[in-house]
Amino acid sequence: MKLIPTSSQTVGPFFSIGLARLYQNAAEASDKALILTGKVFDGDRQPIPDAVLEFWSGVSFARVSTSEDGSYSAVLELPLANGADVLIFMRGLLKPVHTRVYCGDFDAVKNNPELKTVPGERIGTLLARKATAPNRYAWDVFMQGDSETVFFHF
Amino acid sequence: MPNYADDQNALENSQPRYLYPDYVSTRKRAPSKPLIALASSLADLRGPVFGHDSIKPEDGDLTKQHSGDPLGERIVVTGKVLDHDGRPVSGTLIEIWQANAAGRYRHKNDNHPAPLDPNFTGCGRGLTDSEGRYSFVSVKPGAYPWKNHENAWRPAHIHFSLFGAGILSRLVTQMYFPGDPLLAFDPIYNSVSDAGARQRLISTFDWPATKPEHALGYRFDIVLRGPKSTPMEINHP
Repeated sequence: MKLIPTSSQTVGPFFSIGLARLYQNAAEASDKALILTGKVFDGDRQPIPDAVLEFWSGVSFARVSTSEDGSYSAVLELPLANGADVLIFMRGLLKPVHTRVYCGDFDAVKNNPELKTVPGERIGTLLARKATAPNRYAWDVFMQGDSETVFFHF
Repeated sequence: MPNYADDQNALENSQPRYLYPDYVSTRKRAPSKPLIALASSLADLRGPVFGHDSIKPEDGDLTKQHSGDPLGERIVVTGKVLDHDGRPVSGTLIEIWQANAAGRYRHKNDNHPAPLDPNFTGCGRGLTDSEGRYSFVSVKPGAYPWKNHENAWRPAHIHFSLFGAGILSRLVTQMYFPGDPLLAFDPIYNSVSDAGARQRLISTFDWPATKPEHALGYRFDIVLRGPKSTPMEINHP
């Protein structure tokens, strides 16, 4: 006999009071670390200044929040060609969205068997762009619209 | 712990959907395209572990974080964290945050003209014990207006964030208080369509947990989704 899990509710706009102690500081990144930066946008393409992103890779965990301009910066401890799971919470999300981010070559990501259910034209939304600085990648998240990021059943 | 998951309808309606137009912020933030089934399982994706050494005793007592006592009705909030098989979830991190007794958050974006309390931050955290139990001491948060609609007020609530064993058990929720007349008008609370699931978001007044001459007791039990697995060991601040 199983119990029904407790219902999810939004983190609201003031989550930093309770969650800030697990935020990471990108300045602490080691040479091996990969730094992922980007912005989160709403359905009007306005930046979302009150989102919190969690990166779960199985061996590391990172939690960051967006700034006034919708930007975030996260330190990820592994090469992420295999991808990391991402949970995003914000005011206006009654439960988190689940997506994945890959820092690798497009063809490799496209052929990843775990993404076989993703329409080809949307796979690019899961791929971070390599930036010019070493070990830096950029990945934006679009909550809605033509370029909406792929979100998975969670 | 009532309400078992053999009622498929109750189970499906126990979680809100992304788009709930009465909660206006969902309109531009809820995913608009269909969700996709990931072709791999998340069951083994484990979560971070937090040691007892990183939790200080005052982290669980929100009334002892400043030089003076905060204003408000002192409360003790206790409960058990269980997995969906009814087994206790031990050693898991619980983070809470809340408004002060006047309904004001200590946050730069909270413009509600109610007073801040110099003796109250509104942030707590703790770990569940071997039987899945937790306990916080705080003050009862006030209701506050939030502009979602005409004369919109959030019912008093405490935000809870829990990890559990893995990514599937991750939960952020809100605990409400019994008898609050604002619940009937709150779109966030009412985004949960199953009445039983909504009721379980409301703590119960807990006479045995009430401490004489000190604090009123409220009980809030939490059920986390997902299978049991061993959390990963990582170093994290």
